[in-house]
Amino acid sequence: MTTLTNGLRQLRCSSQLARAQWRQPVLARSSFQFGIRSLTTESSTPEQPAFPESSPVSVPFQGVKHARAVPVTPSYFSREPQFNDLYIRISRLLTKYHHLPTLPASETPQTPWVKLDEMRSKLGEPVKASHFAKVMRVAKRLNLIEPSLFPQEVKVALDDFKRDINPFSNVPSVGVVDKHGRAVGVGKRKESTARAWVVEGNGEVQINGKTLSQAFGRVHDRESAIWALQATERLDKYNVWALVEGGGTTGQAEALTLAVAKALIIHEPALKTALRKAGCITRDPRTVERKKHGHVKARKMPAWVKR
Amino acid sequence: MASVNSLRCLVRPAMAPRIQPIMLAAASFSTSTVLAAAAPPAIKSRRDLPAKQKKTYKKRANLAPVRKPNPGERKAFRKRIQLSNNSALSVEGLGALEANSMAQDENAGKVFSIPDHVVDQLRALEAFKTTQSWNLFRRPHVLLRKETVELMKKLETSVDKKEAVKCVLTGSKLSGKSMTMLQAMAYALLNNWVVFHVPEGQDLTNGNTEYSPIPDTEPMQFAQPVYCLKLIQNLYRANRAVLEKLQLQKDWSRFTNLKQGATLADLALSAKEAEYAWPTLQALWTELTLPGRPPVLFALDGLAHINKVSEYRDPSFKEVHAHELSLVRTFVDALSGKTPLPNGGAIIGATSENNSQHHPSQELVLTQLEAGQAGRRVPKPNPYERKYDERVYEALKNSWVLRVDGVSKEEARSLMEYWGASGLVRNVLNSRTVSEKWTVGGHGIVGEMERATLLQMRM
Repeated sequence: MTTLTNGLRQLRCSSQLARAQWRQPVLARSSFQFGIRSLTTESSTPEQPAFPESSPVSVPFQGVKHARAVPVTPSYFSREPQFNDLYIRISRLLTKYHHLPTLPASETPQTPWVKLDEMRSKLGEPVKASHFAKVMRVAKRLNLIEPSLFPQEVKVALDDFKRDINPFSNVPSVGVVDKHGRAVGVGKRKESTARAWVVEGNGEVQINGKTLSQAFGRVHDRESAIWALQATERLDKYNVWALVEGGGTTGQAEALTLAVAKALIIHEPALKTALRKAGCITRDPRTVERKKHGHVKARKMPAWVKR
Repeated sequence: MASVNSLRCLVRPAMAPRIQPIMLAAASFSTSTVLAAAAPPAIKSRRDLPAKQKKTYKKRANLAPVRKPNPGERKAFRKRIQLSNNSALSVEGLGALEANSMAQDENAGKVFSIPDHVVDQLRALEAFKTTQSWNLFRRPHVLLRKETVELMKKLETSVDKKEAVKCVLTGSKLSGKSMTMLQAMAYALLNNWVVFHVPEGQDLTNGNTEYSPIPDTEPMQFAQPVYCLKLIQNLYRANRAVLEKLQLQKDWSRFTNLKQGATLADLALSAKEAEYAWPTLQALWTELTLPGRPPVLFALDGLAHINKVSEYRDPSFKEVHAHELSLVRTFVDALSGKTPLPNGGAIIGATSENNSQHHPSQELVLTQLEAGQAGRRVPKPNPYERKYDERVYEALKNSWVLRVDGVSKEEARSLMEYWGASGLVRNVLNSRTVSEKWTVGGHGIVGEMERATLLQMRM
C-alpha cells in the first residue's frame, strides 16, 4: 500500500492537481508593502514587469506542455500501475457517489466478483492479497447503490471487477407440465440416456413401448427404474412413458430413475427433498475408467516375464 | 519319606488310606459302548507308541465318499411336483371350485381352492408344472380371472350346442396360460368330462420318444407308442370314474380280447405294452367321439412345437412334419374342426413364450385371428418371409384365440390377499402396495408379480 500511497501523494493537495506541472512564476504581490524592509537600494516605485504583458511566457520547446516528461498515469512509478489505476478510478467514484442510497448487502443481486488469481493473470501484475481485498471492499460498497439510481459510469467501472462469465446466470430451465399434462425429465447413468414423460394416471409404465417386466429381466432393475415413484409412494398416481437408449440394463434402469424423478419434480416440486434422500436427484458420475497405454486394461498390468 | 512309604507297604496301615475316587457302576448317561469308553491300551515299550505319521498336505481325491445320485434321480428331483407346504398358513374361508361355479361372472376375481380329488386327477394328468409355485402354499388354490370365466362359459355352451370349443391360449410370458388350461381341465373333471392332456408338445416332436410308422398310411404317418402308452395310463388314472361307466360300442377285437360289455376303462387297461398303445388310444378316441358320450377336453401345451417340422425322419431320411405324427394329427384335426366332437367339449392349445422358437406362420395366424375377433384390420403376411407353413394355417384357422395377459388390479388384490393370508407377504397389503406389485409385474402379469413378491430374498 505504501507504493500506492506514494503514487497518490501528489493528490493530497488538490490545488496541485489543477495547476500546471512546471514551475510557474509566482505572482508578484502587490507592491504595497508595509514595513517590509527591502534590501534594494532602488526606490520601490511600481516597476515595469520583467516581461511585457502582451507576450505570454514562452516555453522553451514548441508543442511541449510539460517541463519534464510526466507519466500518463499517476501510478506510473508504482509496482502495479493498472491495478492502481483501477483503485484510483473507483475510489474517485466512491467519493463522487457516496451520498447515493444503498441496499442492504443481503438484497443486492449476486455478483460474480473476480478472484485474486484471475485479477493477477488479467492484469499481469503481482497484486497483493491485502491490496486486492481493500479494493474489493470499495467495489462492493459501490455495488450496494440502489439499482434504480445506479450511475452508468459506476456500472462500467465495476465491470473490471466482475468475472467474464456469470455463473449465477447459469440456472437450470424450469420444466413445465405441457397442455397434455406431461412433464418430461432426462436422466443419465453410465452410457445410458433416458427420457421419461410422466402424466397423472394409475401406475402404468411403458419403456420403449414395452412393459416394465418385458423391458427389464431383473426385478431389481424394474424396481430401480420406478424407484422415484415408489420411494415417494406415488406409483399408483402417475403413468410413465419412457425412451431409453445406450448402455446396459443396469445403466438404463438407473438412468430412468433420474429421468422419472426429474419429471416428477415438475409435477410436485415439494418432493425434491424426499427424492434427494431416496438418491434420485444426484447423477452418479462413475463411468468406465479409460484404458491406459502399457496396461492391459485400466489398471491391469501385463504379466511379468523373466526375460 | 521314601522309607516311610516303603515301610507303609509292609506294615498294617496305621491311619486311613488316602481317599480314592470310586468308580460306581451307576446309571450311565452315555449310550456309547463300554469299549469306546475304555482307556487305550497301556504303553509298555517303545513299540506301542503310535507310529509317527508323515504329514501330507496334498488334498486327497475323495475325502468323504459322497453317494452319487442314481440314474434318473436328479431328473426326478427336478421334475417333482410339490403341491403343499406345511410352513405356509392354511387359508380359511375360500370356496372350492364346483362344477357350475366356474362359469359364473360373479366369481371372476376370486380365489378358489381345488378340491382334493381334482388335485389327484390333475396330478395324474401332469397339469401342474414345476415352474408354478404351488410349493409355497398349504393347498392348491387358483385365481378365477375374467378370461377364465369367459373360457368356462364357452365350455358350458359347447355341451349344449354339441360343438367343440377350439381355443388357442396366447399371451406374454408367465401370464398364466398353463394355469388357465389347468382351470379348464379342473372344470372338465368336475363336470365329468374325459380329459386328454399333453403336458409338453415338445416331447412329441423333439425326437426323444420312440416312433414307428403306421402301416397303410399315405403319406406315411408315425405313431409314438411309448408316449401313447403313457398318455393312456394318465388318462385312465385321471378319468377312471367316467370311463368305467362307458360301454364299448364298437368291436376292437383286432388287438384286444375284451368281452362283450367291457367298458372304456377296460380298453384303456388292455394296453399293457407299447405295441398296441396307439391303436388303443385311437380306439379310445373313436369311442369317445361317438354321439352320446361325455364331452372330451384335449389340452396341449407348447403349441409352437407341434406346428413345425419334427426331429424325426422317415425311412427315406426325409424330415417328418409334426402333423404326420399320429397323436399330433389327432389333436390338430380336432383343433381345425376336421374331426367333429358330437358331444361338445373343447380342444385347447396353449402357446409358450419361454419354450418356443420364432414361428412366423403360427404368429401370423394367431395375430390374424385375433385381429378378426377384435374387428381390427387383419394383418397381411410378410411378402419377404419364405417359411410360412400352409398346414399351420389350416390347423389353426378355425380356432378362437384367447389372449391371457395381466390381471386387473382387483384380481391382483384378491390374489395378493390370498398370498398374505398364507403368510407370504410381509408388508401391509393396501391398494398402494398392490398397485406397486401390479406395476412391477408388468401390468399384472401374475408370474412376474409372484417373482417380485414371493420369490425375492427380502430380509
